[in-house]
Amino acid sequence: MNLFIVMYKEIVDNLRDRQTVFYALLFGPVLLPLLIGGSLVASFKQMTIDYDAVTTLSVVNAEKAPTLMEFLYSNNIDTIAAPDDVEKSVRSGESLVVLEISDDYGEALRNGSPAPLTLHVNNADKDSAKATRRINAVLNVYEQTLSSLRLQHRGIDPTTFDTLNIIEHDVSNEGANGQLLASILPFLFIMSMVMGGFYLAIDTTAGERERQSLEPLLSLPLSRTSVVMGKYAATVCFVLLSSALTALSIYILFRIFPLEIMGGQVRFDGPSVARAFFLVSPLILLISAMLISVSAITRSTKQAQTYLGVLMVIPMAPFFLLQYLNIRSSLTSMSLPMLSQYQLLENTVLGDAIPWLHVALSVAGTLVATAILLVLAARLYQREKLLD
Amino acid sequence: MIVANQLHKSFKRLGASRRAPKSEQYIAAVKSVSFSALDGCITGLLGPNGAGKSTTLRMLATLIKPESGNAMIDGHDVATQVLQVRKHLGFMPHNAGIYPRLTARENIHYYARLCGLTRKQSQQRTGELIEQLTMLKFADRRATGFSQGQKTKVALARALVHRPQTLMLDEPTNGLDVMATRGLREIIRQLASEGHCILFSSHIMQEVAALCDHIAIISDGTVVMEDSLNEILKRTGQNDLEDAFVQAAQSLNHGEDE
Ligand SMILES: Nc1ncnc2c1ncn2[C@@H]1O[C@H](COP(=O)(O)OP(=O)(O)OP(=O)(O)O)[C@@H](O)[C@H]1O
Ligand SMILES: [Mg+2]
Repeated sequence: MNLFIVMYKEIVDNLRDRQTVFYALLFGPVLLPLLIGGSLVASFKQMTIDYDAVTTLSVVNAEKAPTLMEFLYSNNIDTIAAPDDVEKSVRSGESLVVLEISDDYGEALRNGSPAPLTLHVNNADKDSAKATRRINAVLNVYEQTLSSLRLQHRGIDPTTFDTLNIIEHDVSNEGANGQLLASILPFLFIMSMVMGGFYLAIDTTAGERERQSLEPLLSLPLSRTSVVMGKYAATVCFVLLSSALTALSIYILFRIFPLEIMGGQVRFDGPSVARAFFLVSPLILLISAMLISVSAITRSTKQAQTYLGVLMVIPMAPFFLLQYLNIRSSLTSMSLPMLSQYQLLENTVLGDAIPWLHVALSVAGTLVATAILLVLAARLYQREKLLD
Repeated sequence: MIVANQLHKSFKRLGASRRAPKSEQYIAAVKSVSFSALDGCITGLLGPNGAGKSTTLRMLATLIKPESGNAMIDGHDVATQVLQVRKHLGFMPHNAGIYPRLTARENIHYYARLCGLTRKQSQQRTGELIEQLTMLKFADRRATGFSQGQKTKVALARALVHRPQTLMLDEPTNGLDVMATRGLREIIRQLASEGHCILFSSHIMQEVAALCDHIAIISDGTVVMEDSLNEILKRTGQNDLEDAFVQAAQSLNHGEDE
């Protein structure tokens, strides 16, 4: 009962604090997804080539290679006349790529010797490099067609020259990029949880000590444990709100920028985001407990910010660990809070099956850690030093 | 009613080396404090800075545990019957410690709820206190920027919210102007006449002389004299509390020197 009174008061009190509200409702849920998610989506769009989109290509001497022009056209590449100063135009970014057909192109083809083509590109420019890859891919296909025609013309089976037939069979459901994108999801969730409860936890513990309002509060007829638990419950509410809003904004973000570019392998649809939120939700309890117990040790809000700032490494560690080390899901990794949620969420987004045992281990591990931290926080509140 | 019997409390001295003798590792904040404060009386705990007044009150308020000795509040032991003691005790610490983002009314209401009053009872009690302590003008303003006197009133109202039989105030007139001090004295007298037990700490002689029926002089962690004002003057052979106070404190030091 007293727990709820403390909780209610801390929530009302902190809703009146602009900083707390900003970090709980805007920073984690809106700003971070937009910044991180948005820039990632943008960079994927840049890296991925859409062969169905119609594009234009500047060509010098287009009239010397009408068949090639037709082939390009049938591959959704419209050709236009190149500007006079090709080099300058490419360097300035006016034209992304310029294809130059040499004067002896037609003759070389007829003689059966290599026909010279020049691509003017600017590899320092991402857009130009991307356009080049597309043109190269189309030209390669054209070259193969021509070679087979030449060989057949001379009565040779074209496959004679294919000494190796290398097939790349990617057994993962995702590419490396999908993995990065997938690990962004737990990162966003965990960051928004930490930021959502950060200032409330500090204000209700270290802040209360600093304002010297703790002494009269603790002389009231209620147990210190219900005071800590009330503050913990208030933190849980803020962290819950912050992470639920994050789930919503991630869903909206990937609605606006659908990720068909990943070949539909990375899922950010409603059910997937909901499942991810469910899997990550035990961390709401753990992160709140972490925030409360650490800031209960500190004497001032400034000290609390320093301590918790250092502590932020913990939720970020799995992100970098998983980027650089290839840690596979195992019973051990699933018992570790944070790490297990990272792996579960990656699997969710990549559409891999998740064994129930893994879910159970992850929840249990997180709850045990939470209980330990809460006992610690309650102990800290029994100390006389708390009032110094 | 408060009965304190040879209370003792020491704190670890920060920065003291571990090899130093025990007496140097600890500061005895309160060495031996015995006194009593009766119902219907205003008792003053008079002592200079660092004498151990606040530490004594904190022990009585169950915030810290005495190392030795014991104390009873309305018949409940401060070391063992913590919740009972807190129910009977209103404590206003040295600093008002009110929540700046809550209004005066919300500050009081919060304490009322924590003391076990229902929502309705809390509202009613809060309203009563606001009227009684003439806080109507600023009752619904957020406490940020309250004057010292306004803060003290809110803190006093919070201490009174559960109608405690015993009230302890740690230097309540600190930072109050003449009018506010008079107002506070009026309230304290009123409460005493209603039968409450009031313990009041201060280092200001005139204030204690003007208000208290019963005085305990504390110096260097020890209560050196406890009596009514007239008796104290008679026993020390002085006609002014200030001189009596100096004499009482000195007698303690002489006793230690010998
Ligand atoms: N938590 C603590 N840790 C270490 N020393 C302390 C602590 N609390 C009090 N002391 C020391 O105990 C002694 C008594 O302090 P206390 O606050 O009780 O004095 P006081 O009579 O209230 O003084 P004042 O009139 O200045 O408020 C002082 O020497 C003080 O430094
Ligand atoms: Mg003091």
